[in-house]
Amino acid sequence: MNITCNDRERIFLDGSPAEWAALEQHANACTVCAEEMRAWKQLSAAAGELHDYQGSPALWARIESALRQQQAALAPRKGFWGSLGFWRHVSPAWQSALVGAMVLALAISSGYLYTHRAISPVNQRNTLLKNSALVEVERTERDYMSAIDKLAVDAGPQLGADTPLMASYREKLIVLDSAITDLRAQAGENPSNAHLRYQLLAMYQEKQQTLRNVLETKR
Amino acid sequence: MGSVGLTLPWEHKISAVARDGERRVEPLEGKAETVRISEELPQDAAVAAACLSGNLQGYERLYQWQGTRMKNLARNLLGSQADAEDAVQETFLKIQRSISGFRGQSSFVTWTFRILVNTCHDLRRSRVRRKDQVNEDVDALPPRMELRAPGAHPSLRMALERALGRLTAHQRDVFLLYEVEGFRHAEIADMLEISETASKNTLFQAKKNLRTMLEPPRSSTTGGAQ
Repeated sequence: MNITCNDRERIFLDGSPAEWAALEQHANACTVCAEEMRAWKQLSAAAGELHDYQGSPALWARIESALRQQQAALAPRKGFWGSLGFWRHVSPAWQSALVGAMVLALAISSGYLYTHRAISPVNQRNTLLKNSALVEVERTERDYMSAIDKLAVDAGPQLGADTPLMASYREKLIVLDSAITDLRAQAGENPSNAHLRYQLLAMYQEKQQTLRNVLETKR
Repeated sequence: MGSVGLTLPWEHKISAVARDGERRVEPLEGKAETVRISEELPQDAAVAAACLSGNLQGYERLYQWQGTRMKNLARNLLGSQADAEDAVQETFLKIQRSISGFRGQSSFVTWTFRILVNTCHDLRRSRVRRKDQVNEDVDALPPRMELRAPGAHPSLRMALERALGRLTAHQRDVFLLYEVEGFRHAEIADMLEISETASKNTLFQAKKNLRTMLEPPRSSTTGGAQ
């Protein structure tokens, strides 16, 4: 390898082993390069003087004590989030995969619970009460209607009399029957509507009272 | 540069026996370097794992392995033994606080020394502020070296320490890490977060500057060492 003085600094900066060997060889015949190389090496040799590896026996004890204190101070802070520290050692790809799997599992379980949701005992009891109350109301209505029909049979001869009063009662009963028919049709469409049931009850009571008045007229 | 040599009083006394640092003046034997690295890697990983487990014995192993080197670097960066010990202790505390963030992208020792160098710079800044030394570029201030135990060449060491104090902080870091502590350019690049080429250039500039500083005035070179 052909080395000249111009190559010296480049070799000092970043020379290969072969270039250093060639520079050494060149320096045998070049006093300038020989002096430069000697000075360069002496700087490195002088750096050895900055080694001061005297022991400090107390230093480790001091460091250990400080580490223990810090460890104790850090320990309580390691709560729920601290316990998730292992996540940092899992690669981002695996983290994404695990999060995706968890979201999928959550979605599947939510869907299953939604479609197969069990009715709680309280709701179940409320529904049964509602249904049984409706059955009870309808049964009472039927009994009530039956009783009113019997009353109407008793009042039938009286109503047939050709007097202005009885004609008025007959018209009233026709209007009441018409209203009762309408309300029963509406209640059939919406059996749980309490307001319709109250109106229907009022109509029955009115009809009952009218029939009683007819019977009292007879007496 | 001419043929002027270093005319320090110690130059003729320097041992010709190659030390670890001296060997690195010339290109490293690739084989020897490979052996050194392959021997250190398992220990590096073992110490890192021990520290990561939270066991204080891991930190003790790190101290036994690198403690003196850490203290020496801190001593050269800060200029006093007490400050160096503070810096080493603070470095261990920082390691304990941030060990969970160590991902093994660099060696554990490299990571440790990166923290140490930063801690030394922080400590220097805080010490300077405390002394109310108003200076815009705190890093440019040389460390005030206190007396050490006498070495083989005390005058050489003092001259070099003075000259190091006049380098830039960056050049001082690279020179100390490479020439005194024996780190490779790749490791220094990792520690200082610079490129390997930048590390080589900085070392070259540092040595050129040191040489100029340690060189005698031109008028007296005739009596210099030959």
